Amino acid sequence: MKKTLALILVGLLAVSFVFAAGSGEAAPAKAAGPVKITFWHSMGGVNGEAIAAMVNEFNTINEGKIEVTYEYQGTYDEGFAKLQASGGNYPCDIMQVYDIGTRYMIDSGWVLPMQTYIEKDKWDINQIEPNIAAYYTVDGTLYSMPFNSSTPLLYYNKTAFEEAGITKVPTNFDEIYEAAAKLRVMNADGSVKRYGFGMGNYGWFFEQWMGKQGLHYVNNNNGRGEQYATAVAFDSNGGGLAIAKVWDKVLKEGIAPYLNIGNNDAKAAFISGNIAMTLESTAALKSLLLNIGDRFEVGVGYFPNINKGDKGGVSVGGGSLWMLNTKDTRREDATWEFVKFMISPEQQAKWNAQTGYFPITVAAAETETFKKNIAEYPQFQVAIDQLHDTAPQYAGALLSIFPEARNVVESYIARLANRTIDAKGAVDGMAKDINKALAEYNLVNY
Amino acid sequence: MAKNKEAKAIRGGIQKPQFWIEPYLFLLPSLLIFGMFLYYPFFRTIFLSMFLTNKTGHAKIFVAFTEKDNYLALFKSASFWASVRVTFKFVFAVAFGGLLIGLTSSLLTEKKYAGSNFTAAVYAMPIAIASAAASMAFKMVLHPTNGLLNNIMGTQINFTGDMRYALGSVIAVTVWLTSGINFIFISAGLRNVPAELYDSAAVDGAGYWRRVWSVTIPSISPTLFFQIIINIIGAFQSFSQIKLLTEGGPGDTTNVMVWSIYMDAFRNFRFGSAAARSVILFLIVMVITVIQFRFEKRGVNY
Repeated sequence: MKKTLALILVGLLAVSFVFAAGSGEAAPAKAAGPVKITFWHSMGGVNGEAIAAMVNEFNTINEGKIEVTYEYQGTYDEGFAKLQASGGNYPCDIMQVYDIGTRYMIDSGWVLPMQTYIEKDKWDINQIEPNIAAYYTVDGTLYSMPFNSSTPLLYYNKTAFEEAGITKVPTNFDEIYEAAAKLRVMNADGSVKRYGFGMGNYGWFFEQWMGKQGLHYVNNNNGRGEQYATAVAFDSNGGGLAIAKVWDKVLKEGIAPYLNIGNNDAKAAFISGNIAMTLESTAALKSLLLNIGDRFEVGVGYFPNINKGDKGGVSVGGGSLWMLNTKDTRREDATWEFVKFMISPEQQAKWNAQTGYFPITVAAAETETFKKNIAEYPQFQVAIDQLHDTAPQYAGALLSIFPEARNVVESYIARLANRTIDAKGAVDGMAKDINKALAEYNLVNY
Repeated sequence: MAKNKEAKAIRGGIQKPQFWIEPYLFLLPSLLIFGMFLYYPFFRTIFLSMFLTNKTGHAKIFVAFTEKDNYLALFKSASFWASVRVTFKFVFAVAFGGLLIGLTSSLLTEKKYAGSNFTAAVYAMPIAIASAAASMAFKMVLHPTNGLLNNIMGTQINFTGDMRYALGSVIAVTVWLTSGINFIFISAGLRNVPAELYDSAAVDGAGYWRRVWSVTIPSISPTLFFQIIINIIGAFQSFSQIKLLTEGGPGDTTNVMVWSIYMDAFRNFRFGSAAARSVILFLIVMVITVIQFRFEKRGVNY
């Protein structure tokens, strides 16, 4: 008896495995009830809460019609890796992907360009800030909907500036060196108490400085031409070397301490007053002000130029919303409604006030929420001005292997910081590694 | 023939057909699980390591034994060899460092004294802490300008960004994380050393160190051996400390193999190369395990 029971149990278990394997198949959509769509995002902390509030509001308005589920997928890198590992099984309807995932997403063939719905719905594309839309537009097609856009800024300790008698905010590195020398405070034992400047080793800055110099990062019209990029351009056009030389000088002459890959250590050092100037995204404004409190005043300026007289501009970073080509029209229609809601002026103004990302919709500037926010954080106006001062031709490169390229750049800057190579060696190394990876990617994927 | 069958039936008495299937049915659940999560991925990895993969992770171009071979590319890459060297340094330091601290701390708490329970809890604590959480805490402790450690020492050392310190810092954090489990097991081992051995050693006039060296260590050698294996396996798998503290950098100084596999597969989307690295790591671990068991026969007293 016992044995028979055990056998039955084992059999059931085995059968359940078979069913478990099959249950991933979607049941045919019922005509009744709300259309259910899934939204993958990568916003943690306060930003994640803002997403939740927006989605809930959308669900309340569309009760009985559309129901959006939001799922936090970890950092951009992690979420992107998950989508990519799903191998085109469409795990969600709409997904937030970082700027540097753009080329990969276009190439993947999993995507329904926003342009399709913009034309179908006769939606006026001029509602989007042109300098933001430019990044996500390739060959006249807007592929994804910009959602959380940011640019880098120079943040400075205004109190320290006043003490040191500095009135002009540095706009290029010559001015940064000058200001940093005045801002530096030494301890009695000769060690540095406060550095004048410090920045994270963040590949995004490297990309921004290429645009600021008005130069391309990769060939074939910065990867935006008819043909995809086949090699980097920053080595031959001299832009990379100019940036590496700045890094070299800053570290070798002790103008700034080396603050590691990424931005967290630089941010912590700025908050605690160990460095008087730093580079950070506009999106960090809120959290910086919150953490610094009234210990010192924070000022912001444009992202500094590498050379005096650089004529280029910044490009937007951050993320955008990608609609996956699920071929289920009801869900795609619902997704478009959701997208329109997320970028509506009111929602974008709220999003901006809560996170510090730009409102991507022009009309958001007219809303009360936005005006109130600017009055409270006048620093944000600088970010907006900087965005309006750039131009679509500096929209930045598109590169399938951007995540890897960014790591390569950071890793060579780290070697430079450790003096195992010089500036030229760093740029040559970056170019060699990125070109090799690019050649392999293009060989296998096109 | 018929007679034979008859004889079998008589001898076994239970040879009904269902019992030919029964054992396999019992095995089925675990076979399914192992098959899905162990054997299939294992063979899939070997398969993938022979290909260049496209961005969705599918095998695209067969490259084994050609000039684009994934293994050949790795063997020619300085970064790969650097990563192998770093892995060995890391594993060696963590395995023996963790053991040494575990042994020392358990010897210190062997005899009861006031507060020994508290000290024991402190020594055992690292097992209760997730490596990711510990790494985040240490990231702040090791911060280059306002970290706790720099503040205490009055220095401005970039522990995670300076090539001279990065590997040492990651090792130190991992040793600390590993020491807890070493402490627990070695403490348990010490309890099982028969008191008579110490008594007779004392009668022979052996001092404390002599007793530790000649009685304690040989007596707990099976525990130490077990712990070394566990430490080595754990060290080979260390990931979160690397990811959170150094991201394999600066340069290749903390680029252990597990990290380089992760980077190749999930950041650089080169699954073929990542698979080849995994296979090499598998072979290394296998060889080490064989060596360990050879060594066990000579060095461990049961």
